[in-house]
This record gives sequence, C-alpha cells and structure tokens, in this order.
Amino acid sequence: MQPNRPITPSTLSVKDLPWQILWEKDKCTLCGRCTAVCPVHTIELGVFRKRIVQADIDPAAPPGNVYKVYHGIRQKTDPAYACIGCAMCSLVCPNDCIIPARSDEADKLRLHIDRGGQPRRRGGRRNAPGGILDQIKFIRISMLTDPALDAGRHEFELRSLLGRILPPEENLKFFSENGWIPPVREIYPLIIGGMSFGALSPTMWEGLQMGVSYLNEELGMPVRISTGEGGCPPRLLRSRFLKYVILQIASGYFGWDEIIHAIPEMKVDPCAVEIKYGQGAKPGDGGLLMWYKVNKLIAAIRGVPPGVSLPSPPTHQTKYSIEESVAKMIQSMYMAWGFRVPVYPKISGTSTALAVLNNLTRNPYAAGLAIDGEDGGTGAAYNVSMNHMGHPIASNIRDAYLNLVAIGMQNEIPLFAGGGVGKNGNLAANAAALIMLGASGVQIGKYIMQAAAGCLGSESDRCNICNIGLCPKGITSQDPRLYRRLDAEQVAERVVDVFLSFDTELKKIVAPLGRSTSLPVGMSDALGIADKDAAERLKIKYVV
Amino acid sequence: MDGRHYFVINGRVDGVRLDSRVLEEQVQGAVERGYKQIKINAYGQHGIGGRLWGAGTDPVYVRIEGHPGQRVGAMGCPNTEIEVMGPASDDTGWLNAGAEIVVHGHAGNGTANAMAQGKVMVGGNIGARGMTMTKENPRFSPPQLWVLGSAGDYFAEFMAGGIAVICGYHPQNPASVLGYRPFVGMVGGKAFFRGPHGGFSDIDAKLVPISDADWQWLEKNLRVFLSRIGRTELTKELTDPAQWQLLTARTPQERAGRPKRSMASFHREVWDAELGAGGLIGDLTDLERSPIAVITTGEMRRFVPVWENKKYLAPCEASCPTGVPVHERWRLIREGRVDEAVDLALSYTPFPATICGYLCPNPCMQACSRQSAFMTPVDITDLGKASIAARLPELPPLSGKRIAVIGGGPAGISVAWQLRQKGFEAVVYDMSETLGGKIASAIPESRIPKEVVDAELSRMREVIPHVHLQQQVTRTDIEQLREDYDFVVVASGARTPRTFPVPGKERAVAALSFLEAAKAGKAKVGRKVVIIGAGNVGCDVAAEAHRLGAEQITLIDIQEPASFGKERKAAEAAGAEFKWPVFTREITKDGVVLADGELLEADTVLLSIGDAPDLSFLPDEVATANGFVAVNELYQSSDPKIFAVGDAVRPGLLTDAVGAGRTAAAAIADILAGKRPEYSPKKMIDKERVKLEYFDPRVVVYEDLNQCGSQCSSCGACRDCGICAAICPQTAISRHEAAPGDWEYVVDPDRCIGCGFCAGACPCGIWDLVENTPMG
Repeated sequence: MQPNRPITPSTLSVKDLPWQILWEKDKCTLCGRCTAVCPVHTIELGVFRKRIVQADIDPAAPPGNVYKVYHGIRQKTDPAYACIGCAMCSLVCPNDCIIPARSDEADKLRLHIDRGGQPRRRGGRRNAPGGILDQIKFIRISMLTDPALDAGRHEFELRSLLGRILPPEENLKFFSENGWIPPVREIYPLIIGGMSFGALSPTMWEGLQMGVSYLNEELGMPVRISTGEGGCPPRLLRSRFLKYVILQIASGYFGWDEIIHAIPEMKVDPCAVEIKYGQGAKPGDGGLLMWYKVNKLIAAIRGVPPGVSLPSPPTHQTKYSIEESVAKMIQSMYMAWGFRVPVYPKISGTSTALAVLNNLTRNPYAAGLAIDGEDGGTGAAYNVSMNHMGHPIASNIRDAYLNLVAIGMQNEIPLFAGGGVGKNGNLAANAAALIMLGASGVQIGKYIMQAAAGCLGSESDRCNICNIGLCPKGITSQDPRLYRRLDAEQVAERVVDVFLSFDTELKKIVAPLGRSTSLPVGMSDALGIADKDAAERLKIKYVV
Repeated sequence: MDGRHYFVINGRVDGVRLDSRVLEEQVQGAVERGYKQIKINAYGQHGIGGRLWGAGTDPVYVRIEGHPGQRVGAMGCPNTEIEVMGPASDDTGWLNAGAEIVVHGHAGNGTANAMAQGKVMVGGNIGARGMTMTKENPRFSPPQLWVLGSAGDYFAEFMAGGIAVICGYHPQNPASVLGYRPFVGMVGGKAFFRGPHGGFSDIDAKLVPISDADWQWLEKNLRVFLSRIGRTELTKELTDPAQWQLLTARTPQERAGRPKRSMASFHREVWDAELGAGGLIGDLTDLERSPIAVITTGEMRRFVPVWENKKYLAPCEASCPTGVPVHERWRLIREGRVDEAVDLALSYTPFPATICGYLCPNPCMQACSRQSAFMTPVDITDLGKASIAARLPELPPLSGKRIAVIGGGPAGISVAWQLRQKGFEAVVYDMSETLGGKIASAIPESRIPKEVVDAELSRMREVIPHVHLQQQVTRTDIEQLREDYDFVVVASGARTPRTFPVPGKERAVAALSFLEAAKAGKAKVGRKVVIIGAGNVGCDVAAEAHRLGAEQITLIDIQEPASFGKERKAAEAAGAEFKWPVFTREITKDGVVLADGELLEADTVLLSIGDAPDLSFLPDEVATANGFVAVNELYQSSDPKIFAVGDAVRPGLLTDAVGAGRTAAAAIADILAGKRPEYSPKKMIDKERVKLEYFDPRVVVYEDLNQCGSQCSSCGACRDCGICAAICPQTAISRHEAAPGDWEYVVDPDRCIGCGFCAGACPCGIWDLVENTPMG
C-alpha cells in the first residue's frame, strides 16, 4: 500500500493472509513463469528500492546515500488477490525459488472475504482434515478360522447390486401378478459420483467417461459414473457407453429435454437414474454454476442460453411432501425407460435419513438410496454450508443399514455412501469400512479429481477455487486456456490406475477377512475402533 | 511279486491301525538297521517314505501297497524311490527334496506341492492344486511332475520352478487337461501338456514353441515315465510332437510390458469410433482440445500486455483545471527542448506565468504521484515563471465565424484565446478600462509583479485584437450580439460584493472595492482594521491593509478559515490575527460588535465574504441557479447559443476560470465543425501503476528545470526508458519508431507468455496486463 494512505478495516499485511509467498531473490532468474501461471494474480513483478548509506567518518569523504533498484516477486495483500496456496508458481519455477507457505496462525483474511456483503463461496470439501473413517480398522484377520483368501490369486466377486432386490417369494409374486420384476444392475462398488458437465471441464468430463468405458470394455470392471446435474452430451446419450452412465436429475432439471429427445435414439439403457435431492457438501443448497462458466458448450448441453448463471433451487419444485417427492419422481423416471432402468434418490447426510429410507422400503420401485455425508466435495458452495452443515456419513449409513436389518430388508434396498471417501488418501480402507458398516457401494468425486487429474484442493483450504472457473489444473474451468492443460486421455489412464489399485487394495482388505468371496456388505464384526463412543455409536468393536 | 526281498511293515496289526508315528518309527528303524527294500501295507498313515536320510547315500526302495495317507514321500531324500501301487491321497511328494515317487493310480489334491527336487510320476489323474509352490534350486536338478491323465483345478499356482508334464491320456475333464484357472502366480519352470486347456493365467504364463532340445528331453523322459508306470504300450500314442504344447512363466520384464490396449488406441479406435470424430462433444464445438503447455504464448495466453501510452491522464494534468499536460513539459525539458516546454503552455493558457508561476495554488503539484510516497512534487512554478518568454504559436487563418465574449477577465480571455487559436474571431466586451479582470485590477502586486501581468496581457492582445473596453452590456445588447455573432460567451465574473444583514453594514467596505482601490493607489485604511471573512481574499485584503499602514489587523470568520497557501502566509506575515468562530452582531463607528458583546475595535471594517455575479443583462431564456448561470459540463447555458464561464458560473480559482474557457471554446469549435460536442475527459492513471522506486526519495529541493524533468515520473506517458524491453524475460517487447519522436513499444505475441513483468517494471505505468479475449 502507499505509505500516505489511510488504512481501511480490510487493509491486510502479508502476515494476515493464509498463504505467504516465499521467494528467494538469489535463486530467481526472473523468467516470469510464476506470475504468468498464478491463477489469481496474487504475485506480480515488483520494483524494490535499495538504499546504501555511505557512512565514512572521514570528514574528507562526507556521508551520502546511493539508491539502487532491484526487481523481484511481490505478493499482493488485497483480499481479492490473496494467494490460494495452489503452488503453481512452484510447479513452473525452474530454480525452485518460490513457494507458498501456510501461515503459522489463523489468518485474518477469513474475516474479510465478504466484500459487498457477499459471504465467501468456494469449491472443495469441508475444511476439516481427519475423520472417523480413517480410524476404523479391520480387526478380523482370518488365518485358520476360515479359509483366508489370497488377494492376488483368488477370484473375488467385488460386485454390488444396484436396484430393488425382491425376496424370492415376492419375486415370484411380482412376476406372476405384474409380469414385472424391478431391474437390477451388477456394478462395481466404487462409483464416480455426480459431477456435472459444467462444474467439470470438457477434458475432465471426457477423461472420466473414457476411463470408465475402458474399465468396462477392456478390463471387464463394471464401473459406473453419475453425470451430475448438467445434462449429458448428446453423443454419449446415443452411444453404447451410456450403459456405464447413471443419469442424474436434480432440482434444476438442466439438460433433461436433450435426454428426453435422445431416448428414442438410445442404443442402450443407462445404468440407472439418480434423483438428487441433496448433496453432502452443501445440504439444503442447490447447484451454483456462475455465468462465467456457462459458455456456448455448457449452454448447449444444459439447454439454456449462454452467459447466464444457473442456480439450482435448494429443493425440487412441485413436490410438497416426502411421499410425493419420492413416489412421484421415482414413478416418472421409471416410466421414461419403460420401467427397465433402476431409479434411486440421493440425499445429503441428515438426521432425517431414516424417514426417507423407511419411505423407500414401502415403495416397490425404489432401487436404492445414496447418502452423501458432510465431507463431500463440491464445485461451488457457501463456505458456511460446506464447513458447518451436514451429517457424518459413517453413522448415517450405519443407522440406515441397521434399520433395514431390523425390518429384514437389508438385502433388498442397497445403500450407497459418499462424502469424503478417501479424503486422506485411504480410499480402499474408507470404502471397505463403509461397506462393512452397511453400504453396498461408495461414491467418490473429489478423490477422483485429485487422483485422476491432479486437483490441488485440500482440507487445509488450499486452492479450492473451483467455483470461479480459474482451476489451475483445468479440471473445473470452462476456459480452453486452462482446460487444455488437462489431457482427457491421461485422465482416463489415471482413472484406470485408480480403479485397478483400488481393486487390489480392497481385495487386500477383504481377502484376509476370509468370510466369503462376495462383497462383505454389513460385515461389521470385522470392524474395530479405538474410540469407545464411536464403537458404541456405530455398533462395532471397541479395540485398544 | 517283483522278486525282491522286502522288509515288510504292516500298517494294521491284529485289526488295529498303527499310529503314523509308530509306523514312521518302524520305517526309520528298518532303514537304520540297513534294510534297503521295504514294503509297507499302508493303512492311511501319514507321510510314508519321506525323510529316509538315515540310509546316507544308499538307495532305499519303498513299496506301498494298500492305502497310504496324505503326504507320501514328504521331505523325500534323493536316495529314496517310492512306488505306490494304487492311488495316493493328498500332497504326494510334499516338500520333496529328491525322492522319486511313482503312483500307479490317481493322486489327490496338492500333488507335488512345494516340491523342490526329485520326481513325482502319476499313472492316473491328479486333484486340485498340483505342482503348486514348486521350487528350482540351482544346486540341483529341477523337480519333475509326470501325470498320465489330467491335472485338477488351480494347477501350478505360484509355481516357481520345475517341469510338469501332463499327458492328457483319458483326462478327467476332456475339455481341459489343465483344469480351471491354472498357473496363477507362476513365476518359474515350464509345463508340457497334451490336449485342450480351458485357459490359464495369461498374466503369469505364456505358451511357447517346443524347441528341438525340449522335445528330445520330453521324448526321452516320457519313455522313462511310461516305463516306470508300466504303460510302455502308450509310447507311440504319446510321442506325437504335434499334440504337445509347452507353457512357461513370464519373466518380470514381460509382466511389466504386458500388452494392454493403450489409452491412445482406446481413444481412437473405441471411443471416437463409437462417438464420432472429436469424441464426446465433437458435434458441439470446433474448439481445439488438444493439450497445451502450462506456460503458453500467442492466443493461448490467459493475459496479454497492452501498451497504454497516454490512455490515462497524469495526475498533474488530470488535476489541473486548465488541463496543462505538465508531465509533457517535463518530457520536453528532459529532451533538451526547453523552449518548446515553455511554449507548450500557451496552447492551454494565456497566463502561464501569471497563474502557473505566481497566483495558482498549483493543484498539479498537490496531485503529483510523488506525493503518494512522501516525495517532493516536481516544482512547476519555475517553469511557469519562465513562460513569460513563451512564444506565440502560429495562428491559423480566420474562418469567418465570430464569437462575442462578455468580460475580459481570465475566463473571457481564455475563451477568446482558445477560439482564436482554433481559427475563430473572438470579440471581447468589458466594462473596465483594462483587460485582465481581477488579475489586473484587484490582486495585490505583492503577489504578482505588475510587469508579469502586463507582459502576458500585451502578448494576449496580439492574439485578440478586437476588444471593446468600457462597454456596459445591456440585455438589449446581448440579444443583438446573439444575432450578430455565432455564439456569445458570458464571462462577466462576480463583481457584486456579497453583504449580510447586520446593523451598520453600510460602514463596511467591500473587499473587492478595497483591493481595486488599493491597486489603483487610492485606498486608505485606519490603524486598526477588522476584516470579516478570513478566506484567501480576506488574507489579500489584510496584506494590502498592512502595506497601507494598518497596524492591528484582525480577520474573523464564523468557521475555521478556509484560507491557505501564499495568501494565508502573507496575512500572517502582516501580523494579522485570526479569530473564529465568531458572529457579527453589529458594525458601529467603534468597530465590530460580536454576538457575545465583545467589541473588536476598528477604524476600518472590510467585508470579504465573496462576490456574486450581476446577471441582470442576461435574457430570460438563460436559466440561472443560486445567482449563477446554469450550465452543463460544456459550459453551455440553457440557450444553446450562449455559453458562460468563470465566476459567472461558479466561484473558483483562476485556473478554474481558464479551464472553463478552454472547455467552452472546444465545445464551440466542435459545434461549428458540425460535430456533436463531447465531454469525455480521459481518466486519471491509477497512481499505483507508477513506480517511484526508480527515483531518489531524498530530493526535497529542485536545483533547476533539468532536475525537475529528471525526477518527473511521467505518469501514463512513456518516457522511452526501455526498461520494459529489458525486463521482458521472453524478449518479446521491441521499440518501433515510425518517425522521429513517434515511437511505440510492441509485443510479439508468439514470444510473450503474459507474465506482466513489463507492467510491473514500467516506471510510468504505461503497460497493463489485461485478460485475453475469451474463447469458447
């Protein structure tokens, strides 16, 4: 700031910011790459004055001053340009002379990012590292008590069912009375959850879809991916790859007219339809695609004019009760494909999840229930929603499963868990824990962005600017200058790597348990935790 | 029997089965006692025939009849030959370290499991998990498993060495002689087999052609095998090379490079083939989506630099009401063109010396960017004073258009001056005897030397020859002028002193009258003077009163005095006392009585609370507001043919009046040229763009014009220093000069990466980094 200007309440120093740019003058070659790549223009070339006092006590050489300048990297302190810690500067620096460092104390910026009365919005996950899933251990190691399996050698049925599974007597009854049995899909238990075309860049979206198709067609793994709410490219709708896709419908209904137009031309049915009622990252809030991400392409896929903001309402309009919401939507979506495609709702983790579940148990069409916990990620949400709203997934999925057990329907309505699965990198362990708590499968979003595309976001609030279209890795940007940094083909390769290594890890967990070669849904006797309260709450073993 | 002499051990004695431990004791005991040929009538005992190291290197033959238990020949020694006359149970040859074991019937699961040396030869089929975990120690010959029939499921799992031969003769499952999922985890060894297979672990094993050496080995040893199991009659049937296949473990290198479809191939041959060219959204967009580098040039740059020379006004120019581009004058000084720097002012003002050099409070210096870093602003006053010598620009020929200017003060003269420079004839009407308005008539000589004013007025007269002095213009005159001229500009000033309703106000003398009289040498003051109104005019009055002999001068005001600068200093130097806030109740012969009753004694009371315009001569069509002519930003009144400038519009500085004259003249010129006059002054540059770090902050006094020029940061106007070209890491910036003095710095987009270093380094703030044109 200029020295003779008054400070304002939001005048911050570098120290007040969450990230400080550490720059080493001696190593810097002034190549300009760091300032060119910085997504938020937090760094710029600065001109620095250097004063040398020539203080010679010899009266014949009177003291004086010499001024020189040098050029270097300067960090801006204006909250609008605050460093996000993405470290793209470090990435491109040829001399390793620049890096953002996390402030050693709580920053002051958080108290000032509400200019114009607009509270902070961002992408990412709840800024809370850790979590209960990582604490759960698999304590039932079967060496002699059951025939332990060999993860590398034995065949595993790591498959799950998506769809309403009727008990045999009902199955027969249904078949004889209606001539109809609910459709059920055999799928891989790790699902790529809903991230819309729009929230994600074209290269990212195509990379995920390509990877999923490769897993199915080259490796025989029936991996499925949800579209998120934002429609589906017309070509995909008319391709055989559609069977790997779960079409999501949410409160904004974006892109559904294009889907309807495509139905008569579809070669195959989609895997399923996911009705999104809620999202773990921002429960009770809808999508938030800002106008600057709605370019011509996004507009075409969503069926809207370009350059407008596309908020989805927090709830579906025209549905005023749980009965109506669930029954009406499920019926409509079944009808679209002649009752051949499973339809299930997705809700955010909530203390009211059991009410929804109980409702579904009475609806013979409900194909499952997906619950998205508080640690879920998002492309855009209010910080307050992300950090403070939602329900942890572990207890929510556990309660739901035990509720099904109590009414004897645990094998009939599959539960899918999401929200922070693998957020500390322990994807298979988290997934296995959720499965043994009762989930038939897990959904991942942020994890695949991080693992398959190098997303830099973290729960230490690094980067997390998915919402403003400036993703430095090109994952959540609609700007070709950014998303062309990402190669769809390489994303697809990483998706394949992630699923293959997940598959091995899951087997490494499941095999020693010995019990069977199929997915151990609800096998909670294998779980333990060194937290008595958590053990009690989750009804798993307390082990120390 | 076979003619040998056996030491016979029965597994069942008197109807009681011998414990495996007891049978083992008997076998080991017999070997210790030197028996080399032992026959065992087995009854399910475990591990028969193994571990016969007690015989040293002497061969031992063990013949097993009946029903052996599991692990026949377990941990067998190289000296041992075992022959099972019927079938064998599980794990035959388990951990075999060299024994040769023949089974004439079938063998169960786990046959040859973990075998490291020796041979197992089976005359029937074997069960699941045969030949698993076998080894191959370089010190010994590899172990061999021979099976006449077929292998069971999961054959050769984790096989790490040895040779398996599956002859496929009367296999249990004719569809697959190798069973289900064989060779998973195989890392070494090889397996010959004859007959169909139902697939094997392709990750671990591969089929290879049978070499001549392989075949020779197989044929030779096959004969041995058939002879050992007593089936030599099959020799011909089993020695057809065409029926045999050979399978070996893949090397680690082969595993790593195992053929898997590349994603590139999948993309091209599967993905795009199904979706169409361009993949997922090839039908929706033509935009290229191939990968780009993270640092880009050309159109893929996110940001591009723009050379915004003179797009924005320097703070000095922007804050000068007259609009003098002060920094341009310093540029000329820097270039050694001192005369041009001096002359330049005349394009903007007829009074560069009088006003810029003496009378102006110099808003340009107040606004100077250097002030933002506590640095001394570049001093314009010397350049102003030097302008006394400025030469007139060449005047264009007259166009025939004529404008009447009412009032020959600074505003009127400015209008006329500008109009003449644009080729229009301006005719000035003034009621005074001389031109110059208050400059000439009221401002004390202590503040402006008379010769300076005279010099500038006489220069002005060369430009504006048509001046009608002592003309009292009436409403009728105005209407006539309006018809006779193309435009009329009212610059009649504010000449009616304001007064206020207190008793005795007639005793007070108006400041303007006093100053005019003082300048004309006709004013008189008493010893004690009270001046009501302590603004800058009040200060001038105080200074003049002091000059004329006043000894005790008091300036009073109802609020903190607004006076500042040179005027204030002059009043203070005259010993004037400022009192505020005070309110006048009455003016008596003794002085000024304040609201609180205090009497400020005064021989002379002077009233300096401003002057108002006298607009009685204006036609009704010309709207006024609060006693001033109402004008738009172009100084056009409600009558489009009548403009008004100066104090007739609003009170202001001399430079405000001159600036208003310039603006009005420009508008008139536009209208006369048939253009729509526009008032769109350029914006002032953001001072943050100017880099003062290049300048010495310790300069507080400027020695001469050259130093002023060198220390001017030339805000918003390129000083041609070349720092941008030097700092550019990509050497993308170069200087182009179309004509001498007409240079520009241009960016090569194919080299530029959009780092913004040019903008960061530019001392003048010329470069900006702007978002590139959006794509898609």
